[in-house]
Amino acid sequence: MLGLRFKFRAVALKTLLFVSTGLIVIGFAPSGVSGATGDEFSIIASVQNQTLVDGSTSRTPVEGVTINVLKADGTPIGEAVTGKDGLCTISVPSRDDYVIELNLSTLPDGLTLIDAEKQKVAVNRDLFTTNTKRVTFFTGESANAGASASERILQRLSDGIRLGLIIAMCSVGLSLVFGTTGLTNFAHGEMVTFGGLVAFYFNVILEIPILISGPVVILMGGLFGLLLNWGIFARLTKRGVTLLSQLVVTVGLSLMLRNIYLFQFGGRTKQLSSYSKQVNLEIGPIGITPRDLTTAILGVIILVSVALFLQRSRLGKAIRAVSDNVQLASATGIDTRKVIKIVWFAGGALAATGGIFRGLDEQVSFSMGSDLLFLMFAGITLGGLGSAFGALIGGFFIGIFVEMSSLYFPSELKVAPALFILIVMLVVRPQGLLGKSQRVG
Amino acid sequence: MDWSQIIQNTILAALGVDAIYFAIAALGLNVQFGYTGLVNFGQAAFMACGSYGLGMTAQYFGIGLWWGIPLGIVFVIILALIVGIPTLRLRADYLAIVTIAVAEIVRLFVRSVKFNYMFGGTEGISNFSRDYRELNPFDPGATYGFGPFTFSGYTLITVLVGWVLVGVFALFVWQLMRSPWGRVIKGIREDEDAVRSLGKNVYFYKLQSLILGGIIGMFAGMVLSLDRGSVQPDNYSRDVTFYILTALVLGGLAKVAGSVVGAMLFWVIFVFSDNVLREITRTGPLRIGDFTIIQSTQVGAVNYMFVGLGLMLLMTYRPQGLFGNKTEMALDGR
Repeated sequence: MLGLRFKFRAVALKTLLFVSTGLIVIGFAPSGVSGATGDEFSIIASVQNQTLVDGSTSRTPVEGVTINVLKADGTPIGEAVTGKDGLCTISVPSRDDYVIELNLSTLPDGLTLIDAEKQKVAVNRDLFTTNTKRVTFFTGESANAGASASERILQRLSDGIRLGLIIAMCSVGLSLVFGTTGLTNFAHGEMVTFGGLVAFYFNVILEIPILISGPVVILMGGLFGLLLNWGIFARLTKRGVTLLSQLVVTVGLSLMLRNIYLFQFGGRTKQLSSYSKQVNLEIGPIGITPRDLTTAILGVIILVSVALFLQRSRLGKAIRAVSDNVQLASATGIDTRKVIKIVWFAGGALAATGGIFRGLDEQVSFSMGSDLLFLMFAGITLGGLGSAFGALIGGFFIGIFVEMSSLYFPSELKVAPALFILIVMLVVRPQGLLGKSQRVG
Repeated sequence: MDWSQIIQNTILAALGVDAIYFAIAALGLNVQFGYTGLVNFGQAAFMACGSYGLGMTAQYFGIGLWWGIPLGIVFVIILALIVGIPTLRLRADYLAIVTIAVAEIVRLFVRSVKFNYMFGGTEGISNFSRDYRELNPFDPGATYGFGPFTFSGYTLITVLVGWVLVGVFALFVWQLMRSPWGRVIKGIREDEDAVRSLGKNVYFYKLQSLILGGIIGMFAGMVLSLDRGSVQPDNYSRDVTFYILTALVLGGLAKVAGSVVGAMLFWVIFVFSDNVLREITRTGPLRIGDFTIIQSTQVGAVNYMFVGLGLMLLMTYRPQGLFGNKTEMALDGR
């Protein structure tokens, strides 16, 4: 009898893995969005004008620039002129080494390449992870034209607040799952990606506006969280699998989900169609698109309601109680398993919301969530692992800090200072800003 | 479908450079994770220390290739101190968080434009391995071997050197874990407080274990970059550590043979699945009616999806892997 039950669980777990796989596969399959066309290889060159006054997020395509593609030995392969979207596609015979060259004399007046050395870009054959390789040239007016120091700081602050809201939103679930179950979920980034990709599916493939499809995506994100708990982690806990082993399972889950996304979505980043082309509103010195302003306001509303929910409602109090001390909470009559389910649901829903916002803010890709994971960890360590308010405050702060630090660091390294915060925090106050002073070692 | 070619590739995968550098990296990770219980998710960064140690001798310092080894060791120690000092007093998951973060940052640094002059940016470093190539007694253009076991002279030297290194490190780890030091290390994994009550400085033992495993992992990076003749930042992405972890769990944690056989088996399964899927999709996407099941560009994703699934199932149903001992492998989150 016992053996039979065991077997049933094993079967159930396996079925669930396949069901969840299938769910995602079916979810995306009819779209055929993987973007690959047989065995043809091509190079997509993109010329973008970066306006530093409005921060690095503001890029506009440059039209009419000639791009040449040469073989590594100098034989020309082809040339193309960028279109309205700043893109041009040059097909190449095979997966090989190429040099992509931008013809400087065809740049519009007043624009130069930001990095003059980047006029030629070498593409290694190994860089063709898919059939297409994208190369981007960035142009700009002479650096920092017209932006005073204070304007740049304000612009960064505005970008930082938006990033901070997203990170805060994403990390609440991560922190609460840790608080209630003790599990450090390395697959949490994939829950964020889930939101972004499902939103892409609704928004671009089915052409449903984000405002209508958004709530559905958020609900699905919550259900996805529930599914992970029901299908995997609740069962592992019941089996007596230790938390450290479960942590390794989350790593495997992250790897699996990320590659399912890659399988269905392809390796390229894509734009959500709603509100993708907007003109900056100038609010004082800050340039912000109406879309970004809306997401920022919505983000604040969501986070404040999460905070109020946790602070005021019975359920919120129960969640915080379980997060504080599971035994004590269950002794006072709180149904801890129910609370854990709710935490997974809420965490998944918030992560999906973060994914949608991130997709609107930047672009959607199969690794958009896992790229944020480290910032989320930095945020919740700063705020205190297991504390929901800690995650809100820590995540918000990390976002601002990262964007502000790009004033001094090259933007490719702007996340490095977050690591510094993470390490300093662990040395000075490992329980985090809001954590209780207790032994964590 | 060309089965003989697939089978040959599969057999060769067990002996090739990929299996070698995985085996060495897994031995290092085994010292940290299997024996000491340190969750190091940044083994790729330690491997990068070795690669860039070698590469930077030519790119930045302009000194002989073999200075790369002491240089790499210095890098490993610095990295281990950065991740170890703040976290080794804390719960195990803090180390996991910090190592994964540090590994990502290391990768960003070495591929950055800013430090191009040191690390060669996204293109990495090549033209550093001439000293090593000159030692090659084989003719790089010729092929050596018999039956399915044929290597070009260019690769053969690394295969031989690599397996000697695997043997040396396996023997070293095996002896080390039978020594008093090894017993303390295993004691820390089982019950840190008990070891502490015996007057051992648990913190320092953990740090030593982290550095030692890192140095072994560093050699894995060196083998890889010597074989490729180049140092590429994207060879050390976050996921590489997870593949190595999967190989390690497959073979069995806290077993020397587990690391080596696990790495070989990982590549045998991986190459087999990869070859079969590529063969299926070579002539065009596999379809049922209008429904495309898989096309050639998706093969990589499917393979790695299975790696992730495999890691989950192994951890759930057979955490001791092939060789491990279940009672020894009760990983506890402390």
